[in-house]
Amino acid sequence: MSPEIAGGERARVEPGSFRDADSTVLYTRDGVFRALSAQGLEDFEALAASRLFEDFTGDGRLVGTERVEAAHGDVPALRNEDVAALLRHERIPFVSYPYEWPFGMLRDAALLQLDLLLAGLDEDLILKDSSPYNVQFRGAQATFVDVGSFERLPEGEPWIGYRQFCMLFLYPLMLQAYKGLAPHAWLRGAIDGITPGQMSAVTSARDVLRRGVLTHVRLHARLERHHGERPREVKRELRQAGFNKELIRANVSKLRKLVGRLAWSPPSGVWTDYGDRAHYTDRDTEEKDNLVREVAGSRKWDLVWDLGANDGRHSRLAADAGAGYIVAMDGDQGAIEHLYRSLRDEGDRRILPLTVNLTDPSPAVGWRGVERKAALDRGRPDLVLCLALVHHVSIAGNVPIREVVEWLRSLGAALVIEFPTREDPKVEQLLAAKRPGTHLDYDREFFERCLGEAFEVERSERLSSGTRVLYSARPRGASSAAGDGHTALGR
Amino acid sequence: MEIVAYLDPGSGSMIIQILVGGLAAVGVTMKLYWRRITGVFGRGKKVEEKS
Repeated sequence: MSPEIAGGERARVEPGSFRDADSTVLYTRDGVFRALSAQGLEDFEALAASRLFEDFTGDGRLVGTERVEAAHGDVPALRNEDVAALLRHERIPFVSYPYEWPFGMLRDAALLQLDLLLAGLDEDLILKDSSPYNVQFRGAQATFVDVGSFERLPEGEPWIGYRQFCMLFLYPLMLQAYKGLAPHAWLRGAIDGITPGQMSAVTSARDVLRRGVLTHVRLHARLERHHGERPREVKRELRQAGFNKELIRANVSKLRKLVGRLAWSPPSGVWTDYGDRAHYTDRDTEEKDNLVREVAGSRKWDLVWDLGANDGRHSRLAADAGAGYIVAMDGDQGAIEHLYRSLRDEGDRRILPLTVNLTDPSPAVGWRGVERKAALDRGRPDLVLCLALVHHVSIAGNVPIREVVEWLRSLGAALVIEFPTREDPKVEQLLAAKRPGTHLDYDREFFERCLGEAFEVERSERLSSGTRVLYSARPRGASSAAGDGHTALGR
Repeated sequence: MEIVAYLDPGSGSMIIQILVGGLAAVGVTMKLYWRRITGVFGRGKKVEEKS
């Protein structure tokens, strides 16, 4: 296939890629492209000639990138004079954001950012920003996707991205590691992250003794208060005082050590009770595994969503059965953290673990509400696994059962779903917390009617224990779910 | 011409870089403060900058 943007085809500009005018991400039918300005091209040429580029692209820590021919007018959304060159990127199967990553993923993204900085400094390159939105995951492997972030290091210039590193990497990690507070809601609500002043306000006198808090938080906030309005003067003074890249290197190395030591472990219990699995007999588990294996292997599924993935058991079965890519979502950060760690240790690149609460999935955020897409709008699955989940959404989450089924139908994908009946011990436990007489729609017969209206049920199977039923189904009246997956992007 | 970043580096965030830089920063810090003491700075002196 020719790498050129097909003549006349309208390239779609990634709505999240506008902050850096020297580098703009575009999509066409042929893939993901990046338009560079003249300045952007000069920086890219310096990067492409570096050892860093070869090393990090070689092992996948930097997204695959090639330069392609750009013809006049190829990018109608941009002015011709703004496009000096076009790059083509390897596609990331499913885009995710820091507010969907468990601690370990954000930490690994931070370490990748710092490693790229250190390697860059050796060759007089620097990253002009420090945004976790420039990192994506392919399965459990962190990949830096914004090659437009690299620029030649201006002599005597301080590290411009330091403040952003604190706001979007360091403070969220500290919040979780030092305060036991998950940063996801905050990151979701503030696209630029946590300011030094805000972080300073949530640290106590005792926290000041913790590594990095005195300098990167307290002192940082204080200096920001006192020197807020004179960036140009400060920059000049620093340059004249001999600020150099060794200073940046010293800072980055120290930060790397600091981030490497930040640790968080999920509360015990999360991992040991496997969500609902305690309620299963071995026989049930085996029957369930068999059905998942069978459906997953029945054809080539490009994108599978495993909803309520927990320890990732079914994601792994789907991967082993040949599914292309699996997004394993669960609202429990602890479970997803454990899943990520084991996938990372195995070097997995097919299962993407994400912290997503289905009753409150990440919304679209940023400029015009399109800069970062809503979690569930970032791709179309062709197979959805919904095991040991529907009772949580319907009873604990108060979503009517018909609504749950209609939402699943709207995904346009084949479905494997488990319905625990009202006699199931877990369901009894959930219902016990509610007023008697509520959730009457949570009923096997009614569920089957809703399911039958929206899907063609191909198979249903009652598990041996008798209180759980599995269904495999295809959406009624669906045009085939074409994989309109979204892709790698820069800022 | 000064190279302008699209990101605001933050004045305080730049200064702190010499304070956390440890040994590598000693020379720069001393020079910065010496110049301040001798009053060379802050008078809008025109400086040649990298093009």
